[in-house]
Amino acid sequence: MVSLKTYTIIYVVLFVFATVQVLVEFAGLEYFQAATLIMVLSFIKAALVAGYYQHLRYEPRSLTYLMAMGLAVVLALSVAATFSVS
Amino acid sequence: MTDTDDSEITTDGNDGAAMGTDGNEDPPTGDGSEDPPTGDGGMDATAGDGGGNATAGDGGGKIRTDGGEIGDAADAVAAEADHDHEHGLPPWSSLKRWLVTTNHKDIGILYTIASLFFLGIGGIIAMVFRVELWEPGAQIMGAGAYNGAVSAHGLLMIFWFISPFAFGLANYVIPLQIGADDLAFPRLNALSFWTYFLSGILFLFSFFQGGTFTGGWTMYAPLSIPAYTPQIGANTTVLALALFIASVTVSSVNFLTTLHRMRAEGLTLRKLPMFTWSILLTVYMMLFAFADLLAAGLILSSDRLLGTTYMAAEGGSLLWTHLFWFFGHPEVYIVFFPALGIMAETFQTFTGRRLVGRKWFIASMVLVAIQSFLVWMHHMFLTGINLEVKTIFMATTIAISLPFDLMMFALIYTMIKGKVRFTTPFLFSFGGVLLFIIGGITGVFLGAVILDYQLRGTYWVVAHFHYVMVGGVTALIAGLYYWFPKMTGRMYNRRLGKIHFAGYFVGFNLLYFPLFFAWGTPRRVFQYAEMFTIWHQIATVGAFILALSFAVMFYNLTVSIWRGEPADDNPWEYATSAEWAIPSPPPLENFPGIPSYADGTLSFLDRSKAGGVTDGGTVTETDGGTVSGTETSAEPSHASFWPLAVGLGLFIAFLGLGGFQEGEWASGMTGLFHQAMTVLGTLVTGGSLVGMARERFVGPEMPSAGHWPFKNVENMKLGVWMFLASDVVLFGAFIGSYVFMRFVAGWQAWQPVPHDPIPGLINTYLLLTSSFAVVLALVAARRNSSRGVAAALFATFGLGAAFLINKAIEWQELFHEGLTLSANIRTSTFYLTTGLHGAHVLIGMLFAIYMFFRATRGAYLDDERPIEYFGLYWHFVDIVWLFLFPLFYIL
Repeated sequence: MVSLKTYTIIYVVLFVFATVQVLVEFAGLEYFQAATLIMVLSFIKAALVAGYYQHLRYEPRSLTYLMAMGLAVVLALSVAATFSVS
Repeated sequence: MTDTDDSEITTDGNDGAAMGTDGNEDPPTGDGSEDPPTGDGGMDATAGDGGGNATAGDGGGKIRTDGGEIGDAADAVAAEADHDHEHGLPPWSSLKRWLVTTNHKDIGILYTIASLFFLGIGGIIAMVFRVELWEPGAQIMGAGAYNGAVSAHGLLMIFWFISPFAFGLANYVIPLQIGADDLAFPRLNALSFWTYFLSGILFLFSFFQGGTFTGGWTMYAPLSIPAYTPQIGANTTVLALALFIASVTVSSVNFLTTLHRMRAEGLTLRKLPMFTWSILLTVYMMLFAFADLLAAGLILSSDRLLGTTYMAAEGGSLLWTHLFWFFGHPEVYIVFFPALGIMAETFQTFTGRRLVGRKWFIASMVLVAIQSFLVWMHHMFLTGINLEVKTIFMATTIAISLPFDLMMFALIYTMIKGKVRFTTPFLFSFGGVLLFIIGGITGVFLGAVILDYQLRGTYWVVAHFHYVMVGGVTALIAGLYYWFPKMTGRMYNRRLGKIHFAGYFVGFNLLYFPLFFAWGTPRRVFQYAEMFTIWHQIATVGAFILALSFAVMFYNLTVSIWRGEPADDNPWEYATSAEWAIPSPPPLENFPGIPSYADGTLSFLDRSKAGGVTDGGTVTETDGGTVSGTETSAEPSHASFWPLAVGLGLFIAFLGLGGFQEGEWASGMTGLFHQAMTVLGTLVTGGSLVGMARERFVGPEMPSAGHWPFKNVENMKLGVWMFLASDVVLFGAFIGSYVFMRFVAGWQAWQPVPHDPIPGLINTYLLLTSSFAVVLALVAARRNSSRGVAAALFATFGLGAAFLINKAIEWQELFHEGLTLSANIRTSTFYLTTGLHGAHVLIGMLFAIYMFFRATRGAYLDDERPIEYFGLYWHFVDIVWLFLFPLFYIL
């Protein structure tokens, strides 16, 4: 079981990352650089929530694979559909 | 176990058990004497030792006791009826039983009957337009009625007939094949059935609301929006589809949990019967594919009801085809896989041989299930997608035919190696294989881009997919005949069964094969070149022969339920799966003991003994099967009124919502009626859900549950994760739609709707904090602080409320600036996607406040799992926001 301290640290990290995402927007970076950075931060935040708050890290790996399957399905649809009109 | 004896005894008991209406010994009039002397007859003579497949490995003494229990009572019926009654379940003859039952076997029968009802409706509609097509041009119908008829025929057959028909059989058979007492969540199973059935009824209502949907079963945009299909009935059709998808989602989660968690000890994935394998893969495909269709359906509903502009925007019609066919192609296999499972199963039974290359057959099915998500654009070769992607999808399409080749050869080779018995189920299975081969080969033509340019939109496509789809139905009918004796305890009339097959096969080919010759006929309209008239007339004649053959089936099966020759445990020699080792029909609790494959073959362990061996939590279940009179209060439940009530509530609410179009209620009395229905339906649904949550219902326990890959994931937890996996696809499809539409519109030219990201950032803070609050609730529960739990849950609720209020203020301001839902595609995607998320927050808040009140009374301290599972959902909603925030506020 993860300690309350760990949960709190993660909460703080999430809080900071969200703020950073907005700051990046105002930092005046090139659009796609900023966009990439912002989305990477989102993925890290999502992984933290799933890994610790949903404690996927401590569950059988098969649950992670199940969710990865859902994600793969979505990516297949989104990427291929968008590619089809490029 | 003295198999032979035991089966004999059971058989006798069964004679009485089979509905117990008439004297069991009287030979089924006429039918019996006309029985074909060959094959079938011989089989019956030896059927007595059919139970030989289920050898009771250990504890023979116990088993005998159990077996005797079922078999010895001459008045097994009465005993069983009493037994049922003790579980709050009225007897079969009572209508009430069918309204409240949660038992998988009853639900299976309900599904089967309801799906056949929709087959009847869809079939009659088809008859009408086949008559219309006797000659080119309008004969008996107007153009609008014809459009409605072909649309309704397609929708009813694909959604409300084929899959539910397969799931009627699956509901009945799967728990028996895997050794479970019931599905993991019996009340949700009943809920699935009622939402399915009532969604079909809702669909039929659409005919009386200014006409049903007329835009084709594929609902291509922009025909699907109110500008072209303005009638209320069209709204109702789309809503009925959405309700149907809700039913499917619940059902998929339930089946997946059951299949992974409720299998008998020692029944590994490798050993699963073929039908179970096919259903396992089917429900996986359903879980993901229907979530995508739900996204499509919600977007379309929103366009129709709320007035968003997805479908009318540039790229909208292409977006629909992507969303629809991304579901639509897996759907082909969702429809066909159960049929494939039945083919494999019946081929094994009636050739008396194990499926050749069984392992490879299974591997092929797994491969197809994965590939099915990678071929959808072959439905779109005539749209504006680029040539590169067409080429890729041509290759994946041709590739998917390869595993099917393997499966077909495996079936054929099994037949060659075995000794075939031409029973009715086998004939239908074999017929299904032949028809599917024709359907498959003609489909390969369509998979080639160049040929498709020529064939798309013609009757070649119509003929091809009817050979595939109805070819699958052929094998499902095999399944119905195959399990009919198990379900009813009576044998159908064999001669009439074969007459049905003959009529069916001839009618089928007369109906669909000429359509290949008439391939130049354009789809979806009743105009065609004079030269094709003869082919269409042959097809119409074939349609009537096909329909008549079904009349034979309905007559045969209906009469046989009461007057058929009694069937014993295993009327088919060589049938090896577990359902054939127990009486026909099986008793309420299915098995005389706890099924186990621990020593390689099926045996039944004494329930009371096994209870001691396994973990303490499941002792409740141990004496379930014995009529010892020591029934505890924790006997598994089999009846609940709430699933029906929830279903009715949803039905009424959706009926009401149909009157809401592009942001306005219909005018006058019609509008009032629809508003009243919406309010009433919402209240009934909400009240019933609370009733269901508060009801004491003991679900089935599986003492030996625990197989790779979800060994240590408890049922409810696995169910929540399965649901979340489908929700990933739902939100993913919404986000994908946004990305697609933005890409079409020009990525950087597209500004976020909110002017600055600060309100969104504040909402991110609120939601993150609420997630943390749920974590605190869990920590408090583990520390045994009921005040802590209550406070944390209340904080969760409060933060969720703050999130929604903040959003409401933000939206209010945007509306004032004229940035409404209908303003443009930017606002449409913004409001709908974040609105769907808001709805998830709202639902989570309802959970939170319900749990808060329970927590104030000290709940969750001894068992904090409900908080944990609620947390899984709530954190997921949080994660979604972590993506929506940058996508809709910053980028």
